[in-house]
This record gives sequence, C-alpha cells and structure tokens, in this order.
Amino acid sequence: MPDNWSYVFAAYGVAAVVLLAYWRRLAARAKNLAARTARRSA
Amino acid sequence: MGVRALGWLAVLALIAGLGTAFGYAPREAVQGNVQRIMYLHVPAVLTAYLAFGFVFLGSVGYLLTRRPGWDRLAMAAAEPGVIFTGITIASGSIWGKPTWGTWWTWDARLTSTAVLFLVYVGYLLLRGMIDEPDRRARAAAVVGILGAANIPIVHFSVKWWRALHQPATLLGPEPSPIAAPIFLTLLVNWIAFTLLLLYLLAKRTEIARLEDMHAG
Amino acid sequence: MSAYLRRAWIVVWKDVLSERRSKESLNALLFFSLLLLFVFQFALGPERARVEAALPGLLWLGFILAGLLAFGRTFLAERENDCWEGLVLTPGDKSAIYLGKLAGNVLLMAVVEAVLLVLFAVFFGLDFTGALPALSLVLALGTLGLAAVGTLFGAITAQLRARELLFPVLLLPAVVPVLLASVSATQVVLSAQPLGDAAPWLKLLAAADLVYLVVGVLTFEFVLEG
Repeated sequence: MPDNWSYVFAAYGVAAVVLLAYWRRLAARAKNLAARTARRSA
Repeated sequence: MGVRALGWLAVLALIAGLGTAFGYAPREAVQGNVQRIMYLHVPAVLTAYLAFGFVFLGSVGYLLTRRPGWDRLAMAAAEPGVIFTGITIASGSIWGKPTWGTWWTWDARLTSTAVLFLVYVGYLLLRGMIDEPDRRARAAAVVGILGAANIPIVHFSVKWWRALHQPATLLGPEPSPIAAPIFLTLLVNWIAFTLLLLYLLAKRTEIARLEDMHAG
Repeated sequence: MSAYLRRAWIVVWKDVLSERRSKESLNALLFFSLLLLFVFQFALGPERARVEAALPGLLWLGFILAGLLAFGRTFLAERENDCWEGLVLTPGDKSAIYLGKLAGNVLLMAVVEAVLLVLFAVFFGLDFTGALPALSLVLALGTLGLAAVGTLFGAITAQLRARELLFPVLLLPAVVPVLLASVSATQVVLSAQPLGDAAPWLKLLAAADLVYLVVGVLTFEFVLEG
C-alpha cells in the first residue's frame, strides 16, 4: 500500500492546529488576567 | 512558575513523541507509513479518558465539599477532554480513508468516541447556559457524573452492536502482537499527551481562579 | 423507609390524578404517536418490506421521540405553577421525589408504547401477539433506562430558558446504550429467535438501568437545591 504521507500530515496537522489555538486562547486570557490582577493590587 | 516548567516539559515530551513516531517506530508492513497516525490516535483517546476522569473527580468533589476548586477542575478538564476526543475522531477518520476507503466507519472505537464527544459537548453547552456559579456547578456535576458512569456502558453496548454487524475488522488499528518499538513509541507519546493535559489543566484552573477572584 | 415510599407515592398519585383530569400530556402524546406513524411511512416509502426490516428501530425511534416530549415536561407543572420552591423545601430525602416522578414517567410511557404498538400493528399489518411477553420485558427495561436519565435531566433543565434545546442534546447521547441494546433485543424478539440470544442485551439494559437509577437517586437532591 502506498504511504499516504499527506494523510499522516493532515492528521497531525489538525491536532497541532487545534491544540495550538486552544493554548493561545488560554495564554491570552492568562495575560489579560495577570494585567488586571497587577492593576488591582497596584 | 511550576506551571511554566510543566509546559516546557510537555513541549519536550511532545517533541520526543514526534521523534519516536516518525524516526524510531518502524514502517508497518501492511498499511505503510499511514499507520503512524496511530501514535496520535491512541494516546489522544487515552488522554481524553483521563480528562473525563478528572471531570468525574471534580464533579464528585464539588457535590461533596462545595469548594469551587473542584468545579474549576471539572470545567478545566472538560475542555481539553473534548479537544482530545475530537482529535481522536479526526485522526481516526483520516486514518480510515486510505486504509478502509471511507471517511467514516461505524467501528466500535470511533463510534464510542463520537458518543463520548457528544456527551461532553453537551456538558460544556450546559455550563454555558447557566450563569449562577453554584447552580452551574451542581447541574454540570450531575451530568458529569452520569457521563463518566456511562463510559463503560457505552463502550460495551457499541462493541457488541458492532460485533453483530461486522464479525471481524480486517484492518484493526492495533497490530498484533505489539512489538517493542511500537509499544515504546506509544508510551512516549502517551506520556507526552498526559503532560500536555496536566499543563492545560493547571493553566485553565488558574485562569478560572483568577476570574472568580475578579468577579466575586 | 415507609415515609420515604409514601412521599414517592404521593408524587406519583398527584401526577396521575392531575393527568387524569386534564389529560393534556397523554392526549397530545398519543396523537403525536399517530403522527409519527405517518411520518415513518412517508419517510420509508410504500414497500412493506422496508418497514418490516426497520421495525425495531422504528419502534424505538417512536418511543424516544415521545419520551423526549414526555420527559421534558416532567417538572412543567411545578415550574409553571410556582411550585418549584415547594419541591426545594421538601423535608427529608428528596430522592423520593425523583422516584415518584420516574414512576409517573414510566406509567405515561407504558401507555404511549402500548398504543404505539397497536397503531403499528394496525397500520403496518403486523402481529405482535406471539412475541408479546418477551417484547414487554424489553420495553420495560429500555423504558426504565430512558426514564431514569430523562427524569434526572428533566429536573436539571427545568429552570433553564434553553430547556427545549438543551434537554434533547443532553439526553440523546446519554441514552445511546439503551437505544442500541433495546433495538437489538427487540430485533431478536420480533424475529422469533430464542430469547437466549437477547440475553446479553437484556443484561446490559438491566446493568445500565441500575447505574442510572443509582446516579439519579444519589444526585437528585443536588439538582433540587434552588
């Protein structure tokens, strides 16, 4: 059977994109909150 | 700062996972290199189960103690749980297309995982619909507990239903017997995904804690 | 113990009585069942063989669709008549209310299912009499599972604005095993296979019913807190 590397990269690619997007959302929210917390205690 | 270290550890482990999946694990005889998707697919589903275990833990913990930290754990685990379940389904589907010829087969694991996906998306939808923290936590906890208790029941019902309609899956995802390099690669990737889950949990619960602090 | 059972019984009795007087749920559900029959027929086309082949699935489709309507309304009376606080303030073990509501739902579904069977027999020219005892067992086990989860989730979604959307979204994935097992067991029973072939499915249903009941009884009080 041929190797179908495109499918392999598609699968790993989807996983990477989704996880990266979720992590970036988390990181942005965390930064936002850290700034708010700093302003609050300042 | 422990969270940051955990994050880096997870990244390192993921790199190691990729390395083993593409460099160390052998090319499979029958399916060819497309079988390497398994090193994503199987660790993803295992990590999803772990995440839903945390949902169950957080749900029970909240109902017993009423401490918000437990509810934060449940919520923080449900999000990556749904993501890893989605990755399991997507990778299973993509693996299936060249292997079995179709994007979807009602094979036991894909179907069970899809049902799991639906259950926990419903869980997140429910959480989104309730504003009051205590009511939201209680409602979600009950749904989370039933969802977790249902996992083995779903597994068996789908497996038996599947066995009725297709006695033998010709190209199963797991090669048998499992050779050492394959097992090791699976192990490394599973550890990497687990570390990633723990990191995401830590980060998400921290965000939730800060949000609660700012709100209350 | 007897106070607990009496509390559950009072809930059933009240619901049965108010249903007998108003008949609003039952009548609408029965009419809905009749409509479903037509929908199934039009969806599958005139060939009788297709309907017969799909029969177990059609039956349970009918039951689950009727169940979605019936279970979603479990706490409607309390909600609309401002009696929710009454439920919340009930002294003692609130799971008695759950069992009472569950029993009421099972009774309601029993009537709907019996009527649906008769309608199927009449409209599609089918004969269930031979399989009736075994079929009743399958229906009982399956309906108990559907109702156990339906009553619990009905309570959870009762106070939500989006309950009509959220209730089916929560219920359907949760009862997938019940559906799979019930349809498979019904298939065995209706095709005159020995009942032993359905035994694994019946055992699965019984186990699932037990799990759902235990979860329902243990967690109901947390749902009713406010």
